[in-house]
Amino acid sequence: MHLTEIGRGVFLLEPSLSLDISARDELIITVLSIIQQSQADKLYYDLADLPLIDPLYYQWLNMLARACRAVNVTMACIRMQPTAAFGLTSYMEGRPDFSVERGVR
Amino acid sequence: MAQQVSTSQILADTLKLQIGNISSVIEKQGRTIFGGSNLLDPDEITDFCVEFLELLVTLLESKDPEDDASPQFHALEMYFNNLSRQILMRGGRVEDLVRYIQFMQRTLLEMLSENKNISVKEARAILLYLSGIFNELILAVFAAYLEEKESTIFAQEKELRETSTPITEIWDGVLTLPIIGTLDSSRTMIVMEALLNRIARDRAEAVVMDLTGVKNIDSQVSHHLIQMVRAVQLMGSDAIITGIRPEIARALTSLNIDLGNVVTRATLSDGLKEAFRRLGIQVSKHA
Repeated sequence: MHLTEIGRGVFLLEPSLSLDISARDELIITVLSIIQQSQADKLYYDLADLPLIDPLYYQWLNMLARACRAVNVTMACIRMQPTAAFGLTSYMEGRPDFSVERGVR
Repeated sequence: MAQQVSTSQILADTLKLQIGNISSVIEKQGRTIFGGSNLLDPDEITDFCVEFLELLVTLLESKDPEDDASPQFHALEMYFNNLSRQILMRGGRVEDLVRYIQFMQRTLLEMLSENKNISVKEARAILLYLSGIFNELILAVFAAYLEEKESTIFAQEKELRETSTPITEIWDGVLTLPIIGTLDSSRTMIVMEALLNRIARDRAEAVVMDLTGVKNIDSQVSHHLIQMVRAVQLMGSDAIITGIRPEIARALTSLNIDLGNVVTRATLSDGLKEAFRRLGIQVSKHA
């Protein structure tokens, strides 16, 4: 996982394919402590390398977005792949807790 | 089985003895049927007749000539299957090919009838055996015909689908998708796949889906439509639906489809204006 400050108060999170989301509590704490230290207000989560988002991964994204909101950071998923978007719509209900954008603005 | 062996042996012997006569008769008929319309040239017809007789003799001399699963029988069947495809692709009719096969059967039987050494019992067995073989060959021809037709229909359907859902980049970052005709599940899926790939490729910011030409909609399709809008939104683009006819609107409400998160506009023009507004584009008349 790479977490890079790409602007003032803006972070980019690039999860590698080996990101272990089973340890999500630890991951959330790590991410939040870094972005809080830098007084960030925006976190971009790059989904470019994920061809598919399964329910477990979707749950992780929602959890991280809610945790970010709790510390006044908005999380936006970017560069979602067509296959992932297509797959996600088949099981998602309601709106996700994160916003979506095409790329970093 | 012993009877069958002798039947096929008699057939093979007679065929080998009269192969020249048989070949010239069926070749002549082949030229009449296929040569006139230029479906096959004279050399192809000659090759066809020679190869057919060779394959038939190979089958008759095989271990079990009655076994329709044998490689020799399969080779004969495939030969006719390929010939059928070739003729159909050149614009020939399946009826002509079937009549030609029947003619070949008749020719073989006529040649055999000239053999005075064949008893009535043997003649009956030969007749039954040949009928079985030629029926299978006719079936092979029909199978090829149906496959060819099916693949043509499939290709036409595909082309129709592609042309009936043109995705156009009407402005930088704005895609339009006019949907015309009846939306069924398979078409919706194809449209969705094409649209999502196009959004990724063109990095589109807004998609205007125009339903003016959609005649009717069912619950499954409306579900797919909402799914399509969600997928577009998940990719970070704005989805705008336009041209919802009163009948479609009534159907959507009676199906309890929630359009709360979907931006709708009355016409394609309004949809484009909304897309431009969202992108901060102003289109005005030149003063």
